[in-house]
Amino acid sequence: MSGPAESAVPVLKAQGLRRRFGGLVAVADVSFEIWPNEILGLIGPNGAGKSTIFNLLSGYFRPHNGRLTFLGDDITGRTPSEISRKGLVRTFQHDSLLRDMSVYDNILVATVSSLRDRKARHRRVEETADLLDLTDVLGEEASNLPHGHQRMLGVAIAVATRPKLLCLDECLTGLNLTEVGRALGFIRRIRDEFGMAILFVEHNMRAVMQVCDRILVLHHGLLLAEGTPDQVSRDPKVLEAYLGSRR
Amino acid sequence: MSRNSLGVLVAALAALALLGYSRFGAGDYGAFMIMLICVNVLAAASLRFVMLVGELNVATVAFYGIGAYVSAIATVWYELPLAVSLIAAGLAGALVSILFGYVTLRTKGAYFLLVSFAFAEVVRLLYTRIEAIGGNSGMTGIFPAEPLAPWYPAITVAVSLALLAGVYGLEQSILGTVFRAIRNNDSVVQSVGLNVLAAKIFCLAVASFVAGVAGALHAHANNVISPGDFSFLVAVFALAYVKIGGEKHLLGAVMGAVFLTVLGQYLISLGAQEAIFFGGALVLGMLILPNGLYGLAERLARPLLGALVRTLPGNGAKRSTAA
Repeated sequence: MSGPAESAVPVLKAQGLRRRFGGLVAVADVSFEIWPNEILGLIGPNGAGKSTIFNLLSGYFRPHNGRLTFLGDDITGRTPSEISRKGLVRTFQHDSLLRDMSVYDNILVATVSSLRDRKARHRRVEETADLLDLTDVLGEEASNLPHGHQRMLGVAIAVATRPKLLCLDECLTGLNLTEVGRALGFIRRIRDEFGMAILFVEHNMRAVMQVCDRILVLHHGLLLAEGTPDQVSRDPKVLEAYLGSRR
Repeated sequence: MSRNSLGVLVAALAALALLGYSRFGAGDYGAFMIMLICVNVLAAASLRFVMLVGELNVATVAFYGIGAYVSAIATVWYELPLAVSLIAAGLAGALVSILFGYVTLRTKGAYFLLVSFAFAEVVRLLYTRIEAIGGNSGMTGIFPAEPLAPWYPAITVAVSLALLAGVYGLEQSILGTVFRAIRNNDSVVQSVGLNVLAAKIFCLAVASFVAGVAGALHAHANNVISPGDFSFLVAVFALAYVKIGGEKHLLGAVMGAVFLTVLGQYLISLGAQEAIFFGGALVLGMLILPNGLYGLAERLARPLLGALVRTLPGNGAKRSTAA
């Protein structure tokens, strides 16, 4: 595992991120780094600002304050497609598919911006499908897939761009225990095979604790805690935020 | 021989027959009908092409009208050759649509529909206010140059087929896949690094090139144009062609345009208001044939074609290669 000590340049550096919606401050002042090869978990109760951070990183929202540096380039205020072409690609919590297109075409679209050659695109689609166990359903229409496959297709679309940083937005929601186990296997494999850094937002605590190298805990738009799964799970502030205070 | 190349051969023969018929066999009324059908087919194809990215583009008629006026000016004022006039019309439609699309394609759905409707009406009002192009009475004397005149119906057919082949090719390419992806979910398309706005503008520009050429073909077939020819109803009719024909395939738009144009002409001869009929046909078509004439043809043709292929000598065992 490469950590801060081994490689000096973070994949992504967020400094002082802030975003308001009218009077509501969704993200108040958040700074963090993601290092190469790292799986970083981002957790927090509902409304903590996780999704807002996702939208800020991927360019769907502009921060009102703060700076985003990706692989040494300032990407603050860039459009989603520019940021994606640089190698920061996200999935979507809801509605992450091209519903009335085939699984093959869903993945194919993701290869267009990086690959010109038709055969190369075809190979990329097959590799990606193989990685996420979608090979058998390539010909199916996306909306006809079972839920578990649909979730993995959302991940496959992002992975097919071969990003440097993959941001997964609650990609385990609605999966059963077996499927979660397999999905975590896929995520590790993606990291190992391509050396991607992965930002992992998830409600499933067990999964987060299993797969993440490091975890950020977000609460009311601020970072509450940061550390290894072990450290975070024993942090009294975190327990209080999730379970309420002990009287 | 694979089914694809057989299809291409049949299509090419049919095209040749149609060209020959429109030049030598059709007579004045027949030739006029063929030209009318061609223009309507192109309008439907243009409207449908923008539907690939999920937008209903009423401004199709604006680019159609701009093409008609530009080609009329090229032919009447400057006496340019027909080919130049047609290409100028297409380019004018495409160019204006790029400006229009750059501003408006950031919106979608009902918003784009309304903006495109407003644009179509503004452009139509502009024709009536510009005296140089005839104001309310429009322009007259738009004839193809003399040696070409007897060939004009055949030229119309050839140009239309070429444009149809062009848009069909684009739809089948990777670009068509990107267009359909945008219709499905533009956020996902952005997230994989594609410029959605640019793709939509390109789509609109191609469609508007086709609409512009269609307008030019209309102008030279009719010899007279006036602002009344370019009301938003043209786009509504085009929508009827696409919906009745079936929007899943380009052939659907073609079938719808042919069917409704012929029927409309017949109804005019009975003294009926074709517009009333079109509304009724649209509703009935959606209820009875949700996939349009194309869907119906596909359903009927599949078993028939299958039976036909099996009866051909030596084809019984090769079903896997034919599929």
